[in-house]
Amino acid sequence: MTAVFWIAGILAVAGALGVIVAKTPVHSVISLVVNILALAALYLALHAEFLALIQVIVYAGAIMILFLFVIALLTARKDPIERTEGKLEGQRELGLVTAVGGAVLMIAVAASAGLGRMPANEALPSGFGSAAAFGRELLTTHIFSFELTAFVLLAAVIGVVVLVGRRQL
Amino acid sequence: MLDQYTGVGVFLAVGALFVAVTLLAGKLLRPHNPYPEKLATYECGEIPVGEGQIKFHIRYYIFSLIFVVFDVETVFLYPWAVVFEEMGLFGFVVMMLFIGTLVEGLVYAWKKGALRWV
Amino acid sequence: MIGDMVQAYLALSGILFVIGAAGLMLRRSPLVMLMCVEIMLNAANLAFVAFARHLGNMEGHIFTFLVITVAAAEVAIGLAIIVLLFRERDAADVDDVNTLRG
Repeated sequence: MTAVFWIAGILAVAGALGVIVAKTPVHSVISLVVNILALAALYLALHAEFLALIQVIVYAGAIMILFLFVIALLTARKDPIERTEGKLEGQRELGLVTAVGGAVLMIAVAASAGLGRMPANEALPSGFGSAAAFGRELLTTHIFSFELTAFVLLAAVIGVVVLVGRRQL
Repeated sequence: MLDQYTGVGVFLAVGALFVAVTLLAGKLLRPHNPYPEKLATYECGEIPVGEGQIKFHIRYYIFSLIFVVFDVETVFLYPWAVVFEEMGLFGFVVMMLFIGTLVEGLVYAWKKGALRWV
Repeated sequence: MIGDMVQAYLALSGILFVIGAAGLMLRRSPLVMLMCVEIMLNAANLAFVAFARHLGNMEGHIFTFLVITVAAAEVAIGLAIIVLLFRERDAADVDDVNTLRG
C-alpha cells in the first residue's frame, strides 16, 4: 500500500504539474489523463474499487474525450494558445507566491491533524467500496440526491442545445 | 484486496517497459536517411492538398455531449443493477424516473433539431 | 509506513489542489483553466475517499460520485461556452474576453 501511494502520488503530482506547464493543450490533456489514472490507482489503494472504475470510465473515458474533441474543433492552427504577457500587473509572481504559500499551509494542516493510522482491512464493513454496497447506499439513504443528479445532467443537455444547437457557424 | 490487482500492476509495468525497449531498439537500429520525397505524406501517389489538421464542424459537438451524458447514466446503472433484486419495485420505479428525466433531455435535443444531420 | 495514514492522502490532496489553483491563476488559456478546475475537483475527491476509508463509511464515495457527475455536466457547458468564444471572437486568451455581449 505504501508503494502504491508513493508511485501513484508522484505520478498524480507530475501529471497535474504537466497540465499547467505544457505549451499545447493536447499535452495538457495527456498530462491530465496521467493524473486521473494515478488517482484511480489511489482509490484502489483506499478500497474504493467502484469509484476507481467510475473515475476511469467517466473522467478518462468521457470528459477527456470531450476536451480532445474541442481541441480538435478549435486549435487546428499552429499559433500559440495564449499570449506570453498577461494584462494584470504581477499576476505570475503573485500567483506563484499564493500557490507556494497555499501548499505549505495545506501540508502543515494535514501533518498536524492527529488522525493516526487508517483502520486495518478487517475493521472495514464487508463489501466496503463494492458496487453492491455503493448501490445500497445510493438507492436508500441518498435517493434524493440521486434523482437530483438526473436534473443536473438534464440541465447540461438543455444548456448545450441552447448554446450550440442550431447555430450555423 | 489490493493483492488481487498485483497482476494488473505487473501487466502495466511490463507493457510500459515493452514500449520503451521497442522504441529504443528501433531508434538504435534503423538507418536515418530522410529526403523530401520520403517525408511526403503519401510516399508514392497523390500530392497532398492543404493541411492534415482541419477544423471539425461544430455540429459534432452536440453528439459528443449526448454521449457524455448517457455515459454517466450508464455508470449509474451499474450499482443499481447489482442491488436490483433487493430493491424490488421501488428500485425499478426510481431508476425509471432517473432515465425518464434524461430521455426528456434527449427528446428536447431531438425536437430542437440539434440531432439532425446536415 | 506513511502510505496508510490519512494525513499522507490529505497532504497529497492539498498539493494537487494548490497545483490546480496555481494553474488557474497563472494560465490564461480557457481550455487549460477548465482542466485546472478538474484537477481541483479531483483533489477534493481524493480527500473524500481517504476519509471514507478512515471512517469505514461509504458516504464519502457517494459524494465523490456526485462530484464526478457534476464535473461532467460542468465540462459540457464550459466547453460549449469556450467553443462559442473561439468561434465568435477568436479569443485564445481569457484577457480578450471583456464584454458580456455574445
